[in-house]
Amino acid sequence: MNEQQQLIKDTLDRMLTDLCTADVVDKTEAGTFAKDLWNALAETGLTVAGLPEAAGGAGGELEDSLLVIRESARYAAPIPLAEHFVAGMMIAGQDGKVGNEILTVATGDFEVDDSGKVTGSGEAPFGRWADRVVFVADASGTSKLCVIPTSDLSIEEGTSVAGEPRDTITVDTKPDDNAVMTTGDDAADKLNLMMAAVRALQMSGSLESALELSVQYSMERNQFGKPISKFQAIQQQLAVLAGEVAASTMAGHAVVAAFRDLDAVDIAIGKTRIGEAVSAGTDIAHQVHGAMGYTLEHTLNQRTRRLWCWRDEYGTERQWQVMIGQAFLKGGADNLWQNITERR
Amino acid sequence: MFQGLTFEPFSLPEEAEAIRGDIRQFLADTLDPNELPNSDFNAGDDAAFSKKLGEAGFIGMTWPKEYGGGGKSFLERYVVTEEILAAGAPVGCHWIADRQSGPLMLKFGTEEQRQHFLPKIISGDYFFSIGMSEPDTGSDLASIRTSATKVDGGWLLNGSKIWTSYAHTNHYMVTLVRTEPPSENRHAGMSQFVVDLHAEGVKVTGIRNLSNEEDFNQVFFDDVFIPDNMVVGEPGNGWEQVISELGYERSGPERFLSAFRVIVEYAREIQDNPTDEQLALLGRLAAHLVTLRRMSISVAGMLEGGKLPITEAALIKDLGNTYERMVPELVRLASVDKPSRRFIDTLNECILHAPSFTLRGGTREILKGVIARGLGLR
Repeated sequence: MNEQQQLIKDTLDRMLTDLCTADVVDKTEAGTFAKDLWNALAETGLTVAGLPEAAGGAGGELEDSLLVIRESARYAAPIPLAEHFVAGMMIAGQDGKVGNEILTVATGDFEVDDSGKVTGSGEAPFGRWADRVVFVADASGTSKLCVIPTSDLSIEEGTSVAGEPRDTITVDTKPDDNAVMTTGDDAADKLNLMMAAVRALQMSGSLESALELSVQYSMERNQFGKPISKFQAIQQQLAVLAGEVAASTMAGHAVVAAFRDLDAVDIAIGKTRIGEAVSAGTDIAHQVHGAMGYTLEHTLNQRTRRLWCWRDEYGTERQWQVMIGQAFLKGGADNLWQNITERR
Repeated sequence: MFQGLTFEPFSLPEEAEAIRGDIRQFLADTLDPNELPNSDFNAGDDAAFSKKLGEAGFIGMTWPKEYGGGGKSFLERYVVTEEILAAGAPVGCHWIADRQSGPLMLKFGTEEQRQHFLPKIISGDYFFSIGMSEPDTGSDLASIRTSATKVDGGWLLNGSKIWTSYAHTNHYMVTLVRTEPPSENRHAGMSQFVVDLHAEGVKVTGIRNLSNEEDFNQVFFDDVFIPDNMVVGEPGNGWEQVISELGYERSGPERFLSAFRVIVEYAREIQDNPTDEQLALLGRLAAHLVTLRRMSISVAGMLEGGKLPITEAALIKDLGNTYERMVPELVRLASVDKPSRRFIDTLNECILHAPSFTLRGGTREILKGVIARGLGLR
């Protein structure tokens, strides 16, 4: 972490500690957008830290935004930081501009016809709270990047396993010309890869937080006359969780390094390795927390339910593993080791 | 964050990558592709192979040139090590001397010991074993009872060591012994000796492992005379010396590559017409392997930078061993159609060796204890 990033992390930690309390997360789930939290981050430029200035961003490194996204997941920040960043990246790629607004992305089936009319529907995280939605549409075989105001969409509200908005948007409108941009044929893949990458990083941050909560709880909870952290059975479970967290952190570093050129294999490795860590890790975190962790009252669920949501979004482990398998089989069995060592 | 969970990204430098082609060429020229054991570092021994490897400059690579060493970095050695293992080369003869005994002498040994042993290790002439466990001592290493008493000009050694790989064919064994009776400080009063395995009073009896190989054994000492100049380091400092090796011993590629040939042979079985299920398994195994390797290289960077990452090393060994044991269990269920003899043999050999993966070099229970300490739980 360089100096700039350390500064971002410290600033972010302070703001999230103050503004992203368990209560704020719960209120979001009950339907109130965490406006103060979003506005505070937006005012300091943290919502667009890594977007180019020309695109309305803060002009930092990509790594800055990815750090904000990972760290905010440690606090279960219930705001579309990841979606806003990816939407902004797609817009910046077309020389568009991000304003003082909230963006999200949508994935589904969208079309643009010859008259410029956009139709289709898809899922948009936090759609109901966004100002504009970014998605890729098909126009007779070419790809168009659409940036459509939510006022021009119909939104059917849906909820993730974490209680966060996962809304279905339906579009049937002829938007302004500048809202539909010709883009590369790989635009939909790019959007999916970027979302897989940010979800991987969010999982990595959140899992780290689940470990911290579990260690802390094991030291506070007394049974048989001593903290349960003193029992070897608990220690061994937490050691396994720590291993999964460490592997996730490492895989997350590789995702960050892969983001600039959108190296699909390393992003896929991150999504699937960290996704596996979520299954093993949340199992242990809940077991260590006992019945307390099964309540909505304890904040563990704000992490674990998000983890269960994110591991399924933008490709499950299994879906990415097929692609990774194909990549490593290139050149046949005798080239497998070479393919491994090329991943630096 | 907790102590020992921070794995910073680290890339092998160009000079380390540059050596990859050399060692690959050597292996291609030297190994018979029809006779590859598993990539388990304990799965095969071949003195002729080790001799050739030494002559080519791949043993003692990091040691000073004055002893015949290569003067190369630990990271260059890392590349050579992983290439040798991935190829399934028989490394059992020189493995311990190269990884542990030589570096131990460089760190704690006398000038005389270095001049005597290092050139012969490098040339592939002296092979070493490690003498740590005893019949009543495994994970609780401080409970060793093999002991030595001071006599004129040296020590008289009595007791026994067990699970000493290749002691029946190797030349020397670096042996941890009690040189003072146990005291309140359990870790005090131990010393490391270089024991000549052909000396009078040394007896080695073979023990057969699950795959009916006699690679490990029990070594008995009956009044074996150890001259003073065969004590490594300060008498009484043995425990600290042993601990200082752990970062190297536990974080290397040998902790997650033991089952790699199984993956290669699996890939060979499916390469022409893989199903999605088979591809997904290969992808899953590759995702784990690439991540483990990155963690291991991160620790190699710490070691090269002079740090002593004990918790990180324990984490890699524990995760890596878990992975090594998972590989054959998943591959056997991968619906390989009309499996070849080579695939079945490689898989079965791995299954028979697998129980040792999570025992040697620290059991998974001991490692998890080390990790728990890093978490502040003990």
